[in-house]
Amino acid sequence: MLREWANRAWLRAKTLWKRPQLERELNDEVAFHLAMREAKNREAGIAGDEAGYAARRQFGNVTRIRENNRAIWTFAWAETLWQDIRFGARMLIKDPGFTFVVVLTLALGIGVNTAIFSIVNGLMLRPLPVSDPASLAYLAFPHGPEFVDSQFSFPEFTDIRKQTSALFSDQAGMIFGGLAGFENQSDGLTVDGKTETVQTSFVTGNFFTMLGVAPVQGRLILPSEGHAPGADPVVVLGYRYWKTRFRSDPRIVGQKAAINGHPVTIVGIGPEGFDGITPLIAMQAYLPLGMATLDSGGNTDFLTDPKNRSLFIIARWHGGMNRDKAQPELSVVGQRLFQQNSRPDELSALRAIPLRPPGMTNPPGLLPKVASLFLILASLVLILACVNVANLLLVRATAREREIAVRTALGASRMRVVRQLLTESVLLSTLGCIAGLGIGLNVSNAVTALPLETDLPIVLNFPFDWRVFAYAAGVALLTGVLVGLFPALRVTLSNLRDVLHASGRGSTGRRQRLRTALVIAQVGGSLALLIVGGLFLRSMRAAETADLGFNPRNVLNLTMDPHEIGYEKTQGIAFYKELLGRVRAMPGVQSASIASSIPFGETVLGDDLDVQGFPIAQGQIAPHANYIVVSSDSFKTMGIPLLRGRDLTEADDENASRVAVINEAMAKHFWPNQDPIGKRFVRTSDRKRPIEIVGVVKNARIAQVSGPFEEAFYVPYTQNYASTEILQIRAGEKPEAISHSVGEVIHSIAPTMPVSGIRTMSRAVHGINGLLLFEIAAGLAGALGILGLMLAAVGVYGVMSYAVSRRTSEIGIRMALGAQPGQVLAMICRQGAIVVGFGLLAGLAGAFAIGRLVSEFLVGVTPNDPVTYIGVSLLLAGIALLASYLPARRGTWIDPMVALRHE
Amino acid sequence: MAEKKAQPGELLQGTLDLLILKALASGAMHGYAVAEWIHESSQDVLRVEEGALYPALHRLELRGLLSAQWGMSDNNRRAKYYSLTAAGRKQLALETEYWRRMSGAVARVLQTA
Repeated sequence: MLREWANRAWLRAKTLWKRPQLERELNDEVAFHLAMREAKNREAGIAGDEAGYAARRQFGNVTRIRENNRAIWTFAWAETLWQDIRFGARMLIKDPGFTFVVVLTLALGIGVNTAIFSIVNGLMLRPLPVSDPASLAYLAFPHGPEFVDSQFSFPEFTDIRKQTSALFSDQAGMIFGGLAGFENQSDGLTVDGKTETVQTSFVTGNFFTMLGVAPVQGRLILPSEGHAPGADPVVVLGYRYWKTRFRSDPRIVGQKAAINGHPVTIVGIGPEGFDGITPLIAMQAYLPLGMATLDSGGNTDFLTDPKNRSLFIIARWHGGMNRDKAQPELSVVGQRLFQQNSRPDELSALRAIPLRPPGMTNPPGLLPKVASLFLILASLVLILACVNVANLLLVRATAREREIAVRTALGASRMRVVRQLLTESVLLSTLGCIAGLGIGLNVSNAVTALPLETDLPIVLNFPFDWRVFAYAAGVALLTGVLVGLFPALRVTLSNLRDVLHASGRGSTGRRQRLRTALVIAQVGGSLALLIVGGLFLRSMRAAETADLGFNPRNVLNLTMDPHEIGYEKTQGIAFYKELLGRVRAMPGVQSASIASSIPFGETVLGDDLDVQGFPIAQGQIAPHANYIVVSSDSFKTMGIPLLRGRDLTEADDENASRVAVINEAMAKHFWPNQDPIGKRFVRTSDRKRPIEIVGVVKNARIAQVSGPFEEAFYVPYTQNYASTEILQIRAGEKPEAISHSVGEVIHSIAPTMPVSGIRTMSRAVHGINGLLLFEIAAGLAGALGILGLMLAAVGVYGVMSYAVSRRTSEIGIRMALGAQPGQVLAMICRQGAIVVGFGLLAGLAGAFAIGRLVSEFLVGVTPNDPVTYIGVSLLLAGIALLASYLPARRGTWIDPMVALRHE
Repeated sequence: MAEKKAQPGELLQGTLDLLILKALASGAMHGYAVAEWIHESSQDVLRVEEGALYPALHRLELRGLLSAQWGMSDNNRRAKYYSLTAAGRKQLALETEYWRRMSGAVARVLQTA
């Protein structure tokens, strides 16, 4: 069956470009026929030329037969299609206003959908550029519904690898330099005396072979490398980084370089398009696992200590193996791991989670949730646009009822008319799709160009690849058919004779009901969109006006890491001391200090605590708190009020006893109703030296924009050296102005020191980890809501105008019989109000449902926030009623005489 | 509106198609042989205009009822041979049945008149 169909399609297609051959073949056939006939005639005794003539006579007119055949070969449907398109185009050109409105409406609907889809596609759908990405997984212990713990120690990795060889064909481990929990948060790559901060991965030797990727230049890390600490000083550069920093210079391969001041050799360049397995942040350099000594200060615990967990494990399934089949065995392995190594988590089953873009995000389900939410909102906009266009087309089709009736009377089949109307609507949606792609591209580019306020190599790349085009084309086709089919079927269903006989204004109640239902859907959908947009806007306002606990204004940040140029601890402390002394002496500087992290920055340090009176039961999680390594004056620079005790000073050095300043939340949690000053606690990573509390500061935001303040403490850099520090300067005004001279000061002390992250605190607050996501969400949701509102207003206006024009004669009669304009106005407005009322009810229900989906993305506002619900409903009701008032008022202008004569 | 193709009457066209399908039921033939078969088996009652055969053959081929192949004729000339496809066979059965009912009905109508 299928083969025959394919064969037929092939034959038909062949007629398109094999026309000359077909003609030749037909000539051959005819010649053969004539020759046979002539021979037969000769046999029958007809002599000479007469046999040939007779054959021709019997055959008939050869030219006409050729003509007939040509008609058959002509791609009949293609020809009518072309006719339909030409006719449709003429109709659209004839009514440019209508065409413009429809195309614009569809373009907006398709545009936002394409934009959001391109973002989803860029983040989640494009497969990792490795061989057979579908068979890759990463291992993790789910830790509550929101978080997975995907970090393991190297001994655990070796154990797991041994015990799961039946499940996985291969497993590789990696340590991300910046996330490893080493106190050095980044690495410096020095080439030709110039040092830049790079994102590094320390990978097991089989990492690249397991992924099945090939280098662009040189070689990748070899399976034989990375086993011994510090043994293989080689580095592979990421393609993107090679392209930007070294302008794709192939001579870089084989060059000597330094990572954190230690000599290494650049041996190769990674494959194009491969940004590591966390594609949101592009990995810039890969080193063998053993080279992680560069970040651990020579310590080899990361290879031997079962509790030093900084390794991520990716694995490739054996053929035929999958999550479900493997789970029982994985659970057993996980349990064993818990017993042997006393992991800090609650006991949960070890899982293999598919390694898909955007890679290992935590929590794993967040991005898909956000994506589906915005796809739902965007489709709602598209549905509203479709309803609008369907309504417009319905009006138009009704106006064309007579034209269509005439065509039908002249012999056009119903299918043919439906096809003509569908061609027109698909033509419209195609134009809408083209314009929509333009809009989508702009929106998507605008999102890509957002200032992320981070120096992390974050890759926001939303290319319009075939998936996006296919999506847009699919949406456009579906839209075209949907908006066209309804009116087309409606119109062709109407009775031919009625239409031709009536004057063309016999209002059919059913059609009016359909239009009313469409408007109810429209008002409802738009209300739901507006409410969601309103919730996000309120949430953003709440986040922006929330008390951060610090004063971000007039603070300049500069990030540096002496470790990246090979400075050891003593050199580092000396560097910072001199730097602070010189910067504090600069004119315009009110206060200068250093901190290991800034609010909403890229990293946060944290440690488990042992506090007297808070015993940790076996298998329980120790209390955890974030901490920041700071210099004196840090609270002054950040504008965090010191509530009790004293600030940290340079005198709190190695020789003095350990001290810390804690925040209110920590004081309240561990020492409620007591004075915490003078109390002690222990960090589990440094049990030998208890820390004495010397001060309490007000709560200030560290990592989370919202939610309760978390416990945190501040320790002096002179006792807890962390080489990555951010120089923070509070200046009188325009802190950016002094950034250049500060840079000069830094380089006069350490000429090769890479300085990054130069931005004001206010900008940093609006960055990717701060308010940016709230702003994007609010911007997108708000824009979608406003789009919905506009569409609803146009829709209500259109339907009410139409209703009024349909009721012209009725209104005329009423007024002739003495109805006052006010009564007519009230009558029509009542109709509008009922429609809007039903729409609002539907919309409230819809918003309530979507509200549950968005609740976890909202800050400082509940998903059922009455202010939003009531305010937005009133706004929409007002606009919708206005949209029905205008046509109603026009109704009262009807001159009874004119209206009656009209019939 | 290119709704109506330039076609002879529906019945005539259908009849010719049916005759062609029937002719090919016994095996592959070239166009000339189909014409001859129709003449002979209708004992010269049905005289098809021979040229009209070819558009009909090509149309049936495009509809997937026939398949065609170039081959050698008995007298060693190149000729295009048509044969029934599965769909063609089905169509033949359908049309034969329809034709039987039609002609039976018409005959009854004529008898009662």
